[in-house]
This record gives sequence, C-alpha cells and structure tokens, in this order.
Amino acid sequence: MTALRPDLAEKVNGTVRYGADLEAPGMLWGALVPAPVAHGRIRTVDLAPARALSGVVAIGAADLSKLVGGREGDALRPAFPHETIEYLHQPIAAVAAPTLALARAAARAVRVVVDPLPVVSDLESLFPAWPPPEASRSPAVAAHVHARRGDVEEAFRRAETVVRELYRTASVHQVALEPHACLAEVSGERWHVRTSTQSPFGVREDVASVLGIPESSIVVDGTWVGGGFGGKGSSFLEPWALLLSRASGRPVRLALTYREEFLLGRTTLPSVVRMETAVAGGRITARRVRLLLDVGTSLPGRDFATGYSIGFLLGPYRSPVFEVEGYAVRTNKPPFGPHRAPFAPQCAFVVESHLESVARAAGLDPVAFKADHLWRTGDSTPFGQTVADFGLPAALAAARTLADEWRRASVPGRGVGVAVGFWSTSTGAGGEAHLVLAPSGLRILQGEREIGSGSVLVGLAAVAERRSGIPRSRIRVEYADTSRAPYDAGVFGSRTVGALGRAVDEALVSLLGSLRARIGADGPISLAEEGEEIVVRAGERRWPLSELLTPAERAAGGIHAGGKHYGRAGTLDERVVVDGAFYPYTDFTGAAHVAEVAVDPATGAIRVVRYAAFHDVGTVIDAPSARAQVEGGVVMGLGTALTEEAIWSEDGRLLNAGLVDYRIPTLGEAPPIDVTFVEGYPGAGPFGAKGLGEPPIIPVPAAVASAVRAAVGAHATELPLTPERIARALKRPEP
Amino acid sequence: MTPVAIRLTVNGRPESLVDVPSGERLLDTLRWRLSLKGTKEGCRTGGCGACTVLVDGRSTLSCLTLAREVEGSEITTIEGVGRDGTGARVQEAFRAAGAVQCGYCTPGFVMALTGLLKERARADGFDALLEDLGGNLCRCTGYAAIVRAAAALRPGTGAP
Amino acid sequence: MADFELVAPATPEEAIASLRTGPPGAVAVLGGGTDLLFDLEEGRSAPERVVSLRRLPWRTLEWNGNALTIGSTLPLRTLENDPLLRARIPGLHSAVRAVGSVALRQRATLGGNLGRSAPASDLVPMLLALDAEVLLLGPAGERRLTVDGFVQGSRRTALGPAELIRAVRIPEARPSAYHWQRVRPFHDISHMAVAVAFSPSARAWRVAVAGFPPRPLRVPEAEAALGSARPDADAVHRAAEEIARRAPIVADHRASEEYRRQLVRPLLERAVDATVRGGR
Repeated sequence: MTALRPDLAEKVNGTVRYGADLEAPGMLWGALVPAPVAHGRIRTVDLAPARALSGVVAIGAADLSKLVGGREGDALRPAFPHETIEYLHQPIAAVAAPTLALARAAARAVRVVVDPLPVVSDLESLFPAWPPPEASRSPAVAAHVHARRGDVEEAFRRAETVVRELYRTASVHQVALEPHACLAEVSGERWHVRTSTQSPFGVREDVASVLGIPESSIVVDGTWVGGGFGGKGSSFLEPWALLLSRASGRPVRLALTYREEFLLGRTTLPSVVRMETAVAGGRITARRVRLLLDVGTSLPGRDFATGYSIGFLLGPYRSPVFEVEGYAVRTNKPPFGPHRAPFAPQCAFVVESHLESVARAAGLDPVAFKADHLWRTGDSTPFGQTVADFGLPAALAAARTLADEWRRASVPGRGVGVAVGFWSTSTGAGGEAHLVLAPSGLRILQGEREIGSGSVLVGLAAVAERRSGIPRSRIRVEYADTSRAPYDAGVFGSRTVGALGRAVDEALVSLLGSLRARIGADGPISLAEEGEEIVVRAGERRWPLSELLTPAERAAGGIHAGGKHYGRAGTLDERVVVDGAFYPYTDFTGAAHVAEVAVDPATGAIRVVRYAAFHDVGTVIDAPSARAQVEGGVVMGLGTALTEEAIWSEDGRLLNAGLVDYRIPTLGEAPPIDVTFVEGYPGAGPFGAKGLGEPPIIPVPAAVASAVRAAVGAHATELPLTPERIARALKRPEP
Repeated sequence: MTPVAIRLTVNGRPESLVDVPSGERLLDTLRWRLSLKGTKEGCRTGGCGACTVLVDGRSTLSCLTLAREVEGSEITTIEGVGRDGTGARVQEAFRAAGAVQCGYCTPGFVMALTGLLKERARADGFDALLEDLGGNLCRCTGYAAIVRAAAALRPGTGAP
Repeated sequence: MADFELVAPATPEEAIASLRTGPPGAVAVLGGGTDLLFDLEEGRSAPERVVSLRRLPWRTLEWNGNALTIGSTLPLRTLENDPLLRARIPGLHSAVRAVGSVALRQRATLGGNLGRSAPASDLVPMLLALDAEVLLLGPAGERRLTVDGFVQGSRRTALGPAELIRAVRIPEARPSAYHWQRVRPFHDISHMAVAVAFSPSARAWRVAVAGFPPRPLRVPEAEAALGSARPDADAVHRAAEEIARRAPIVADHRASEEYRRQLVRPLLERAVDATVRGGR
C-alpha cells in the first residue's frame, strides 16, 4: 500500500491557505496602474488625484529612491519605468487603499500622459525574412547565438535529399489557477513578504536586486502555491507590494486579477523557425536551424531563452555537421518567462515534424529514421556534452511497439503518431536540507513549499523512506521561511527530487553513518518503526533510537544532520560556438509518446482518442506522484498542441486575455493516458532518479501532429493545431 | 449606493451581514467577510469554476453572483459540504483517488460534482456527467485522477 | 468598480417604473447576472442603477400542447433539465447545453441571453429556427415581436428603454438540431453555428446561422432549397451554397471568413441529418 499524499485531506477540505488567501489586520489592498499604450515616452504620471482619495497611498517612479532609503537597485529593471513604457498595461505606478474597490478607483484616477512611440507586436513585422548579420547589433535584438560544426555548406551540396521548412509556434501561458498574490509587511529595516512562489530564495535575491536592499533585510515566506508551471519562479509582485507597505506603514496585499495574469504574465512567446536537413545514404549529413524567438521586453544581454532552447531544435539526434543560429527579438510585450519546459515542447514539435518530413522525402520510415539517429548512452551532443545513461532509445522502442499495435486496430480517419523529446534536469542548481531524527520520527526542514506536483512533500519523504527504512507516516517535511530554512534554488527545472532530494539523501547517509558508529556495526543498518518508536536495525539486532541519543541531542530534539547538493554545471565544447551564450545541458532524460487521434476532415477538428507516454526516469521514487505528473503534463501539452494561443493586435493589445478565449484543455478533451516508466538508466538524483516535471509536456504537440499526419495527411507547420489550421493543411494533403 | 444588511444561511449557520455593497460578489462575501477561504478565487469571470459553491443545492459560480441576489438562500461551501452525505462521499472519492495536486481547483470540483450528483435524477450516464464537469478547470492533474474519483462514485457505469 | 444602486422590484410594474426613473443610459437589467457581472469585472460597464428581476414571477416553463413558453428569468439549467424538452425540441436542448458551464447555466437565463444578443449567442439562432417570439412588457403594456424582429445587431435589440423581456414563446415543438464549431470543443465560443428545424405545421424548414458579427440570421433561400421533409444530398448542398452566398460571413480573431464559409456545409449536413433522424 502506497502512502497517500500528506496534503490530500487539507486540500479536499479546503483548509489549505494560498497566497491569494492572505490577509492581515490593518491590511491595505494594492492595485497596479497600467500603462495606457504599448510603447511610449512618459511625460507625466500624476498621482495627486489618487492621493486625494481618502486612505489611499500612491507610489510611482519618482518615489522609488526615497522608499528604499536612497539605495539603488538594478538600473536596468526599476520597479517602475522612469522614461519609457515598453508594453501595454506595464505597471507604471501602484496604489493601496483600505478596500479593493477604492484601490481600483484610485488606480484609475492616476493621470498618465505619454507620447506614443511605434509599436512592434509581431517579430515578423521586424524581420519578415532571415535577418542580415548586422541585425545582431540592432536594439531590437536582445541576444544572438550562433554555433556550427563541420562543413555544413559542403554537406548540403553533396546531399541526395534536402528538406527546407518553416514553422511557427504561438505564445502559451502558464494558467496556474491561483493568480499571483502576496502580502508585504515592512517594519523598520525588515522587509517581510509572504508570497505564492516556486522559489522563496529566488524571490529574495530578485527583491534585493530590484530594490537595492541587502538580502539580510528581506524575509520571504512562501505560502501554499496554487500552481506554478514556471510563472511563479522569480519575483513579480513582491517589490511593488513591499514598496506600498513601506510607503503606507501597513501590511499590503497585492494580487493580480486574472486578466492581469494574461496581460502582465511572463511566458513563452511566439517563434519562427527555419529548418534545413541534408540526407545522403539514408543518414542525416547536415542540419541547419535558424530561430527567431520573440522575447518581448527581455533585457538585452539577459535573454536566457534563445541560447537555452536552441539546442532543443536539434533534438536528441546525432548531428555531426550542423549550424544553429538564433535571434532573441524584442517586441512590445512583457518579458519572456519560464513556462513548464520553456519553449521545449514547441522545439520538439518543430524538429520532430521536420524530421518526419525529411524521412518521408527520403522514402524512409519516419520512426525508424529517428530511432537510427537517436543519441545512445555515451554519445556526444552537438555541443560536446556526453549523454550518460540515456533511456530514451528504450522508451522509443517500447513506444514503437505500442504504436504498431494501435495502428493495427485503428480505423479510417484516425491516425497514430509517435514523437520524442529530451530534457536536461537542472540538478546543477543548489539545495540544502536539515534533518532531525528523533525517536518519534524524522523531520526534514527545508525552504520550499509544495507547488502541487508532490515533489516536496511526497518526493523528499519518499527519498528519506527509501534510504532509511523509516515509514513515510513517521517522516515530516517541514517548511521554513528564508530567515530560517537552509538555501534551495527553487521548485523548477525538474530538479526538486533530483537536487534537493540528493541533499536529503546526503544528510541521511551521514545520519546512518553516525548511528552505525554508535552501535559499532560493520554492515549495513536501517531504521524502522516498532511500536511508537524508531529503532535501528543491524542484522538481527535492534536498538531503540532513544537509547542512542546523547543528552545534548535529546535536548536538541534529536540528532541533527545537514545535507547539501550543489551539482556540477554542464560544460560546452566552446569550439562550436561562434557567437552568444549557450546553455550547457546536463543530466539527460527523455520521453517517447504515442497519440491516437481522430480528425474530422470536414472541419479539421482533432480529437485525441488515447495517449501513451514512456518516460526515462532512472528510478521511480513515488509511483502515484510520478504517474500524476505525466498525466498532468500530457494534458497541459495538449493545450499547447491544440488550442492555446495568445493573440496580440498590431498595437500590442492581447486580444484573448481571459479563460474563455485563451483555451486550456477541459475535462472533455483529456484522453485516457497510459504511463510507463523506463528504469535502469540512472540519473544524478537520489537512487539514480531523474526529474519528471518538464519531460511529460515536451513531446505532446509533436506526437499529436504526427498522428494528424498519419490520420489525414495534414501537415500543419504552425502551433496550435486548431481546426482551422488543420482544415487549411488538408487543402494540400501529403501523399 | 446604500449598503444594506442581508441574511444568508451559510453551511447551516444563519448569518446576518451588514453594509453589503450592491456590487459585492458572493465570492468576496464568503472569503473576506466570513473568512471562508476554502472557496477559491480564480478568474472571477466564470471561466474556471474554482469559486463554485452550492446555492440552495445548485452549483453556482460565486464570482458571477451578487451577494444581495441570493439573500435568504442556503449557501454551502467546501467548509460545510462534508456534513452532507453526498458531499462527504465526493470528498472521500477525491482523497482515495489522489485527485489533487496543487489543490486550488479542488474545492470547486468537489462542489460542482456534489451539485451534479444531487441534481441528477435522470440517468444520462457517465459521459454526460463528465461533460457537465467541463466548466471546472484543472491545470495540474490532466483530469485523469479526477475522472477516476468521479468513476468511483458512479460504479457500474462503464467508466474508464 | 464604483458601486451602484441595486433594486429588486417585487412586481413587473415596479420593475418598469424603476427602469424608467433611473438615470438615462445608466440603468442595467440583471437577470442571472452572468453577463453583467462579467462586464463589471472587466470594466466594460458602469451602471448607476441595476434592476434585478429575481423577485418577478417569471421563472416559468409552460407546455401548452405543442407550444412552449419560457419565462425570461428561468435558469437555463432548469430549461435544460425539463423532462420533455430534449425529446420535443432537441435542437433547443443542444443549444442550451452549448452555453457556458453547468454552474453558469444555473443562473444564466434565456431573457439575459436574448437581451444581450451577442453575435455568438448559441440560443438566438435556435430560437430563429423555431420561429420563437419574444413577449415584452413596458410602460405601454405588452407587445410581441419575432426573435428575428427583436434582434437587430451586435448587442442591439428592439427592446425599448423601459421594457423588459417577460417570456419567449415557441409556437410548436419541432424536430431540430444545433451544430457548432469551436476551437475547443467544450466551454468555448462558437465561431460558426447552424440551427435547423422542420416545422410540421408549415411543412417547411427553418435554417439559421450564427457565430460571426453582427447577428445570427435566418437564410430563407436555404430553407427553400431544403424543400421536403427528407431533403436529398443535392438539396442540402444547394442550401449550403445559399447560405454561403447570402450570409454576411466575416473574419475576426476567432476564425477567418474562408474557414467559416467552409464550415457551413458540414454543419448544415449534420444538422439536417440529425433532424431527419430525430436526434440532436
């Protein structure tokens, strides 16, 4: 019998409190003053009409320095813009009032005068064709990356088959159901904020940087999180809320409306990708990938997305001769931000669909063609990283077998598709845990809130159970704020179980070592529950833990032990880099997915009939949570595949800033999902575990697109695969 | 413009509320006036179902309902739904199926499913029941465990 | 948002008086509230007085032989759950289920949907195909309009300044069907929809299309093309061509004109087929 999640009862009973539920005595309600244009020079921001309302506090750019005692934050990202508005609804001032209604009225009362500037809302209006080399110095380009290996031109000249395609992908939002929300309370030099976040320490670092106050003055206290998906990975509302609290001397609650979630959200933005592949003798001989990625108002020099994601466009395939080049294009939108596996599902869609086109053009079976080129354990990636213990080939083999079975049972109008995706677990980021082992059980003290996946409350406990033998009913994962908890980088990047779990594991190993020494055991020992107490076992012998504690430990509540894991960053083969910064992937994992779809040829509507996912996870740490992660990731991926698309007008207005027109999957679109874990290819996590937060979403759009091609011969080159796009693709069916 | 006093019965308890502005939504009354924060605020525009409560036994979007419009009604929220046999069964089914991740949609789902089971005299089958849950969004679970929870409540319907 | 005066008159007469005496242009009518509160939240509406219809005795549903009269404040969910509706007017049952979610339909009303008269209304096209009438009550008493006459444009109706929708009357139950296309199958806005019904008394078809601005509309030429109770494939094809020719189909951010035109034929074929077979 597997243990149930410890948070089930509280969540089903509605007693869990999230950031959006926070309140405090004497609290004021905050509201943001939105920029009236998508691009413009600020002439005046007149707060007087807001301040004239009784009980209202209003702050703007002019007040920033005074509020932080003359210190200076990061000049590149001030809390409010001093001169230039860069996207519509960008907060240019903030207000707080005794009621939310009054705060909103005050926000509307602020008089803003701006000189509008030309708006760029679409990267293709800037770069309708591939940019010339000098574009990398353009202010419209936040980053340029370029890498190559081998004689690409020669390989294309000698190719038997060359396929060139252009793909487009849409902007997708995280749509965590809980809007961003926090409650700030500043007293003296103590800047305290409770917030719904995936990374309390990350927020602390950001707040320090934006406001210019020392980290030691800031306390970030995470609340339960109503979904993150990358959108709650760094600071957002906290600096504004803290400034309002400083200005008013009162606690201030600041939360976004759901409309603001869309208007201000930092997320995956649109892309245009040009793919070229050369084939000779049934093998890929060269590849060229050219990416234009919309990064909104990401700061020049601080774009992470382009160099990070461009490797995903090569896919997990052997590519000895290649060239990749990418531009991060600035537009008048909020900055690019992480969205579960940022941009990787879109990349997988592009590379998987393209290689399917390549195989078809060369007269080869697409899945066999991909399997032939897939990385194997020990291979080198295009950027010179070694692929260790890679379970994706085994996952793809299993997926192919199932796909063949489904194909045999399929009917006209339906099709079966297969696609893969890889991921690099962020085990490089650091984390620490503090453990206290007492006769009554084990406490794991750490600094992350559970965001839903179970990686903190279930994952860390399961690691501890597996290492020590203590049943999970005797293990408590406890949270503390940044003033008391040991450091951890955050719950993101599929790293929690892998990295923070390693810290827990290391602490337990040292605890077990200490106990072994105390009982004088030579061989392995384990812990167990007997009656009301934890006992230490060695062979046939056993010692009640209470008898092994020193008086000092008894006074301290048990045996304390710390563990930390600061993983290695990956390394790059710098010889391939021509320009820009690339992300060194580490700790490779991957998944192969199978989708069966039914396509209505008259309307282009797609129904996903059934779905199967095969995941390289190293070792399953907790089976129910792992399965749930995959089920949830697949359905989120179906949104990216089928319906989700933020649409901007030419003047920079988001046209579908709400849950009616921005369409995430409902229960009606969720297919039955089979989940299979491929074990035996260990990763860097405890017991060889690999992360599972991002991988489930990555192959989904590609698998669906492949199934649609198989069903009706519609090759859509633009995400999402809306009925209209499929109907259009059906007008030029593939053979 | 005159705020007035209204009476509601909330989870079986009579409540008399004073100074309720005309525009106050039931969602805010429950959360900020009565501190019943189990009812969740999501989109506030009827698109997510997180704020679903029962008004006189019917599942209702508390974000699109003015408090003064339901004066005299019986309101049931997640805090009180377990006192009812159907509600308790739904909560138990969610627990047993582990149909929860972040939990933000969970109260709304529990209330919507409880409302549907109470309302359903006609036997439309499991598929229609699932279709009727379509107004409740979940971003974590892919709905799989939620469907398993619902299936456990309707045995013998040939559910997946 | 600024607060407003909320009144809930006990009688239709009081309701009309309160509409008439309210600040001109700043009075809103509240049925179920699902549209009005959405607009208030998004800042699209700022009424000074809101007249709630909740105390009026209009939450009614009455079958009179084959005719159905639906009170304007009846929740759509109650209409949907009527034991006779699905068998007698399957198209209306489908159209009602196409509106929002269950919890939304527990409050949303037919009167509210008609009063708003959105171009993408799922109910208006079906009411057009059923030759439904709107019963209005105003300072000058009652009047009766066809739905076609009542709906004038995108969010424009023939409703007078102090008039209320009291009820909708459907003169006869008809084999009927409502078929729509959306980006997301469930819980989305239809960007193309076809409502059809066959009138047993007139031995004639009714066809309405919707999903694009300014308003849902009937296409009499398509109705004529369908002809007999069991039109053959050619007749349906001709009817679809009539719609494509006559309907002022346009593009917006939900769908292109071309795609909407392409959808006419499959939706019409399926709706006619379902109607002939007596299904949805």
